[in-house]
Amino acid sequence: MSSDRADQAPERPDEATKAGEAASGDDRAFYDAGGAGQSAGPQRASQAGGAYDDSAERFLANHPDDAFIGASGVLFEQAMAQTRMAVCLCDPHTPDAPIVFVNRAFRWLTGYEEHEIIGRNCRFLQGPGTDRSAVARIRQAVENEDVVVVELLNYRKDGSAFWNALHLGPIYDAQGRLIYYFGSQWDVSDVRAARADERHARELARELSHRMKNMFAVIGGIVNFTGRSRGIEVEAREINDRIQALGRAYETTLDEASSGSIEVGQAIRSVLSPYDPDGKRIHFKGNGLRSDFSAVSVLGLSLHELAVNAAKHGALSSDGGEVTVAWQKNGSSEAPTIVIDWIEQGGPAVNPPENNAEAPTMGIVDRMLHMARGNIMRDWHPDGLRARLRVPLREDAV
Amino acid sequence: MGQSCCPNDGCRVLVLDDEPLILLDLEFAVEDAGCVPLTALELAEALAIAESEHIVAAILDVSLAHGQTCAPVAKALAERGVPYVLHTGDLDRMDEAVRKLGGVLVPKPTPAAVVVSRALEGVTQRQGA
Repeated sequence: MSSDRADQAPERPDEATKAGEAASGDDRAFYDAGGAGQSAGPQRASQAGGAYDDSAERFLANHPDDAFIGASGVLFEQAMAQTRMAVCLCDPHTPDAPIVFVNRAFRWLTGYEEHEIIGRNCRFLQGPGTDRSAVARIRQAVENEDVVVVELLNYRKDGSAFWNALHLGPIYDAQGRLIYYFGSQWDVSDVRAARADERHARELARELSHRMKNMFAVIGGIVNFTGRSRGIEVEAREINDRIQALGRAYETTLDEASSGSIEVGQAIRSVLSPYDPDGKRIHFKGNGLRSDFSAVSVLGLSLHELAVNAAKHGALSSDGGEVTVAWQKNGSSEAPTIVIDWIEQGGPAVNPPENNAEAPTMGIVDRMLHMARGNIMRDWHPDGLRARLRVPLREDAV
Repeated sequence: MGQSCCPNDGCRVLVLDDEPLILLDLEFAVEDAGCVPLTALELAEALAIAESEHIVAAILDVSLAHGQTCAPVAKALAERGVPYVLHTGDLDRMDEAVRKLGGVLVPKPTPAAVVVSRALEGVTQRQGA
C-alpha cells in the first residue's frame, strides 16, 4: 500500500480526497473541541476553509526529491492534517530561509492564508513587543544547526499578540545533509497568564508569611519586656516560648495559604527545630498527612511541652539522648485520628511520674489535648518516656 | 543571658529595627548581656551611630520601612570590621546586596536573648583569635 502510494505520488488526488472525507467529520469535531486551548475561536476556525488540510499533500507534490517518501510521506500528510500543533518548514538553502510549508494549525494560529505565508521568513510574526534576545537565541541556534525552544511574543494577522512556544530544529536527509528547518508553534498565552497568577499568589503568601513572623516577633517582644518590667522574666519566658512554638507551627502553612490545611509533619519539624539545632537528635517519621489549623496548634504546643521537658529532664537533657517523633493517620474512616508517637531514648534514668517537677506542665498538655477531644498516654519506659498523642483528624475542614 | 561581651562591661552594640516593640525587647536583651544598646529605628540613625560610635557588634533588621534595607549599614560595619547579625523575617526575599555582605542570619522570630548572644559570638570569636 505504502509503496503503491509512493509510486503514484504525483497523481493521488482521488485517494487523498477519500481519505480526507473519511477524516473530515472527526477532524472538524476535534478542532472545535480543542479550539479553546489554541485560542482558535470560531472565526479562526472558519479561516481554515476546506474540511481536509491538503497542504502537506501539495507540499510533497512540489518537493518530490526530499525525504518524505513512502510510508513517511503518508504519515507526514496525515499528521500535518490532524495535529493541533502549528508546524512550518523553512528552506535554509534559499536566501532569507523562507517558509516553504505550513499546516492548517499554523494558519489558524496566525490568521494568515497560506499564500500570505509561503516564501516569507518566519520573522513576519514578530512585532514591537517581541523580545530581541529571544530572537537572537533563535538566530544563534539556526547558525549552529541547534534545536532551540523559546517563548516569544508573536502577532496574528489581525494584530493581536500571542505567546508562542516555538520549537525550532534542523531536519537532515538520509545522507546527513541539512534540508529544512522545522518549526512548531504553540500558543501558550493562557499558560503564561496562569503562571503570572501563580507568581502573584506566591508573592502574596510570602508577604503574609513575612508579616505574620514579624507579628509573632512583636508579640514576643511585648511579653518579654512586660515580664522584665514586672520582675517575672521566668513566667514571661514560659509564655513566650509557647507563643513562639505556636508561631512556628503556623509559619509553614502560609506557603500554601489557600489550601486551608496544614501538613502535619512540616508543623512538627518546625515546632521542634529549636530543640535540635544540628538536626541530629530528633528523628522524624511520617508522611504527608494534612490536617486543619486547630488540631495543629494543639499538637504543636503539646510537642513543644514534651520537648521542653525532654530538654530539662529527659533525653534532650544529656549528650547522646535522642527523640523519635512519628505521626500517622489512624482510627476508623468515620473518626480518623492523628496519632503521634514520642519516643525518648538514651537520656538519664526516668523519674517516676507522680512526684517530679514536670507534673504541672504535663497537666497542661493533658488539658489541651482533652479540649481538642484527643488524649495522651504516657509509658515511663526505663529507656525514656514514650508518649502517644491522639487528636481527631479533620482533613476536610476549611 | 548575663554573659559579658568583653572583659570590660559596657561594650556598645548597635540595634536596628523599624519595629519599636522589637527594638525595645532587643534593647533589654543587650542590657541583660552586660552591654550598652544603641538603638536605631531608621537607616539614617543606624548609619550615624555606625560612623560616630565605637561599637563591637550589631543586630540589623534586614527589611526596613519604605522599601529600604540595612545594606548600607552592613557595608559600613563590614568596612570597619564590626561583626553583625542579620535579623530577618524573610530570608528568601533578602536583598542580594545584603547577602553578598555576609553576616550571621538569624530568622525572626528568635528570642531576643538568643539574637543578642548570636551577635556577641562574633565578638568573642574575634577576641579569641
